Amino acid sequence: MAQANGNPARSADGGRTARPRRSVAVADHLIAAVPALWLAVFFLLPLAFTFVFSFGHSLFGGVELGFTLDNYRLALSGFYGATFLRTLRFAVTASALCLAVAFPAALFIARLSGRRKNVALLLILIPYFSSFLIRIMALTMLMARGGVVEWLLNGVGLHAGPLDLLDTQTAVFIGMVYAYLPIAIIPLVVVLDRIPRALVEASRDLGASRWRTFRHVTLPLTRPGIATAALLTAVPMLGELVIPRLLGGGRGLLMGQAISSQYLQSQNYPLGSAMAVLVLVAVGVLVAALARMTKGFVEVPR
Amino acid sequence: MSPPPVPESSRLANLLQGRATDRALALWYALVVVFLFAPILCALVYAFNLGIVGKQTSTFTGWTLQWFPAAWHDTSLRRAVGTSLVVSFWSALISVLVGTALGYALIRHPSPPVRRLLSAITYFLLIVPESVIGVSSLLFYAVTAIRLSSATLVAGITPVAIAVVALIVRARVLTLDRRVEEAAADLGSTRAKTLRFIVLPQMLPAILASAVMAYTFSFDNLVISTFLTTPRLNTLPVYLYGSLQYGPAPTVYAAASVVFLFTLAMLGVAFLLFRLTSRRPRGSAAL
Repeated sequence: MAQANGNPARSADGGRTARPRRSVAVADHLIAAVPALWLAVFFLLPLAFTFVFSFGHSLFGGVELGFTLDNYRLALSGFYGATFLRTLRFAVTASALCLAVAFPAALFIARLSGRRKNVALLLILIPYFSSFLIRIMALTMLMARGGVVEWLLNGVGLHAGPLDLLDTQTAVFIGMVYAYLPIAIIPLVVVLDRIPRALVEASRDLGASRWRTFRHVTLPLTRPGIATAALLTAVPMLGELVIPRLLGGGRGLLMGQAISSQYLQSQNYPLGSAMAVLVLVAVGVLVAALARMTKGFVEVPR
Repeated sequence: MSPPPVPESSRLANLLQGRATDRALALWYALVVVFLFAPILCALVYAFNLGIVGKQTSTFTGWTLQWFPAAWHDTSLRRAVGTSLVVSFWSALISVLVGTALGYALIRHPSPPVRRLLSAITYFLLIVPESVIGVSSLLFYAVTAIRLSSATLVAGITPVAIAVVALIVRARVLTLDRRVEEAAADLGSTRAKTLRFIVLPQMLPAILASAVMAYTFSFDNLVISTFLTTPRLNTLPVYLYGSLQYGPAPTVYAAASVVFLFTLAMLGVAFLLFRLTSRRPRGSAAL
C-alpha cells in the first residue's frame, strides 16, 4: 500500500529488482553479516569438523581423515548401539510424560485472565531460569537415602524402610521431567491462548459436552504447541549429560555421557563425532515427524 | 447426529462437571508448582544443614551458618566465581551485540533469502543439543591447536546465548510499526541513522532484558563449559559439578544457594528493566 510513493527499498519482495540506496545496503548487510559470520565460525564450523571427523580413521592418539563408516558401525552396534537406543527411548518417553504433566497445567493457565495469568506463568518460569545444576543437585538430595522423599513416603505409608531411588533409571526419568517441565508448559499455553473463545462456545452451544469440545475442538488446535513442546523437551534430553550422571549414577548411561567420555577420556574423536552426528540425525528425524504433525497449520497472526 | 435439546438436569450436571474439571485443573497446576519449587527450597534449606563431621548428609541434622563463611574462604571456589563473572560478562556483551543484530535482521532484513538463511541458522542453533555443541567446539579447538582459554570459553558459550537474545529481540521487533521506519526513510534519514535513532530506542527494553538473560544464561552454563574448561580455568557451575562427584560438600550447597538468589535477583532486574523502559517509548510516542 505504501508502494505508491515509490521508495524502492521496501518494494514487496525485496532488493533484487529494486536497487536499495547505498546506505541501506551497508547497514543492512552489516546486521546480517555479523551474526551470520559469528555463528558460522563458532557454531557451524565446529559442527562441520564433527561431521568430517565422524568419517575419519582413529589411530592411537590421533586421527587420520578419510572416509570410513567404521565409526558409525561401532556406534550402532553392541554397547554403544544399546546406549543410543536407550537414549532414544528415554527422550521419547520422558518427553511424552512431560507433555502429559504439562497439558492440564497449561490448560489451567490459559483459562486465567490478565494479571493472574502472568503470575501463574511466572511461577512456572522462575524454576526454569534458576540454576539448572542447583535444581538437579537438590533432587539428588531429596531422593537420596534418608532424604525428604523417603521420609514423606514413609510418613504416608506408601513405602516402608529406606528408599533406593537415587541411581536408578526412575530417578533419571523424574529428573528429566522435572528439568524440562516448564518449557513444555509455555508453548502449550501460547497455543491454547490463541484458540478463539467463540469457537469453544459455539461447540458447547451446539450441544457438545465439555469433553467432546475438548477432544474435537481444543485438542486438534493445540497440535502446533504440542509439537513445539515435544521438540523443546526431547532435544535437550537426547543430549542430556548432567541428569543421568547425577541421578542415575553408573546405571543407564545415555548418549550425552557416552559422547563426552569419547572426547574427554578415550580421546577417540572419530567415534565420539559419529555418536554426536547420530544424535543430530535423531533430532532431524524428530523435527521431520513433528513437522508432519503440524502440517496444514500456518502461522496465523492473532 | 443432530444435537438433542439439552434438558435442564443435564445442563446442571454439565455445570457441576465443569466446576469439578476447573477444580481438578487448579489442583494439578498447584501440584506442578509445588513439584517445581520443592527441590529448590530444599537446596536452600540444606545450605544450613549441619551435616555429619563436615560432610553434607541427606538427613537434616541441625541448623548452622558455618558453610557460608567456609564457602567464602574456599580459594578455588572464589577463583571459579571470579572466572564465571568475567566470562559471563564478555559472553553477555557479545551475545547482546550479535543477537540484537540477528533478532532485528530475522524480521526486517530487506532480502528474503537472507532472512530465510538467518532463521535457518537460528532454528538449527535451537535444536542442536548443547552437549553436541560442546564436543564440537572442543574438537574445533583441538584441531586448530588453539589453546583453551577464557576467550575460547566465551566464544563457545555465545552461540546459544545469541539465540536467546535474538528470540527476545525478534519478539519485540514483531510489535514495532514498520511505517515509522519507512517514514524516517522518506524524510531522508539514512538507514544507519534510522537504526540508531528510531529502531534502537524502541528495542531498548528488549535489549536490556535480553542482556540480563544472556548474563544469567552464561553464568549458569554447565554443559558447554564442561568441555571448554581446564583444570586451571573453572567456572562456578563446572567447579560445583566436579566437586559433586566426590560426594556433596556442604559448602557447595551454600555457594549454590547464593548463586540461586543472585540469579533470581538478576531475573527480577531484567523484568523491572523491561517494565520500566517499555513504558517510556509509549509515552514519548505521543509527542
